[in-house]
Amino acid sequence: MKRFDCLKLIAAEAKDALVVSSAGATTLEWNALRPSDGNFRVRTLGLCSSIALGMALGLPHRRIVALDGDGSLLMNLCSLPTIARMRPNNLLHVVFDNEVYEASGSKKTATASCTDLFAIARAAGIEKARWANSVEEFAQAVSAALKGEGPYFMGAKITTDRTEVPPYPMDEVENKYRFVRHVEKTENIEIFKSGLPASYA
Amino acid sequence: MTEEEAARTIWDGLKTAGINLVATLPDVNLAELLRAVEEDRDVVHVPLCREEEGIGVCAGAYLVGKKCAAIMQNGGFFNSNNAIVSTLLQYQIPLLLLIYYAGDVGDRTFSTSGAMTEPVLQALGIRYYVMRQPKDAAELIKRAQILAEDSKRPVALLLTKEVLGRRAALGASHPE
Ligand SMILES: [Mg+2]
Repeated sequence: MKRFDCLKLIAAEAKDALVVSSAGATTLEWNALRPSDGNFRVRTLGLCSSIALGMALGLPHRRIVALDGDGSLLMNLCSLPTIARMRPNNLLHVVFDNEVYEASGSKKTATASCTDLFAIARAAGIEKARWANSVEEFAQAVSAALKGEGPYFMGAKITTDRTEVPPYPMDEVENKYRFVRHVEKTENIEIFKSGLPASYA
Repeated sequence: MTEEEAARTIWDGLKTAGINLVATLPDVNLAELLRAVEEDRDVVHVPLCREEEGIGVCAGAYLVGKKCAAIMQNGGFFNSNNAIVSTLLQYQIPLLLLIYYAGDVGDRTFSTSGAMTEPVLQALGIRYYVMRQPKDAAELIKRAQILAEDSKRPVALLLTKEVLGRRAALGASHPE
């Protein structure tokens, strides 16, 4: 499977879901397929699923999708028991497993030898965990996960080839402001305090 | 002030400051405070497996409108440094860090952790306040949250045994 084909299927089903993506090519490909201020790029390797969990707990009625990688998840495996324990029913955690640290020189990860991320997720207590073994299975599973009661964990073994897409169009701080403004607008809430005091005090 | 009263004071201070999501990892000195957190149904409580994931959880929750605090030991603060740097500081995300000050003056354990705590906070440019007087706790928490929001950076409150009601506060005029 190619990650780009899987991401296309998610983009077709994502609607207004807020999407958190792990640093590297996943983010770039996703942003090319669904350019939106509702996308948040993660810069700390490992933190993708944790940031998505925080969003899912903070906005329980909104769909949250984490686009994670094998190297990233391996660095933060403890996120799985925490997700299982908190049971956010609006969270879909997708892990693209290409068995390498793709953004870091393509050295092999532990999944290249023996480690099964689905089995870890299931053992952590995430009942709705699965591998998607074909593009058809992936499409069906994403569609179900974006309608049903999660938390969902979905692993997909993918090839290591990348799709040529433009670079990420903004820095981290702009990403933050755009994302929060997008949430404010679509949820009709105020997150950033409006303005400064009328006088210096 | 008893340990239970001290914990109640700190927790009430956090609630008054508007905190509505708390990520925690236990330390024996935080037991009463964490009990107050667990008993509160109005606040989302995220018990962690490792403190660094909590920085991510709080950052994500902040981005959708929550006011967050992370409660941990200073060992957990050391565990969290990459997330603090490349998520909180890089994106300018505020977070109240309540850090139990293991290895504080008078302790019989963790003196190395105690020695490194303030220098690491200083190196990261994180403003911090050592909390010693239980009676000042609520007001200091409120002010620290204002500073975090205004500076869009993490702010740390170092929780000593004194402020947690586990050792007499120096200079307290009325013995309890
Ligand atoms: Mg990978």
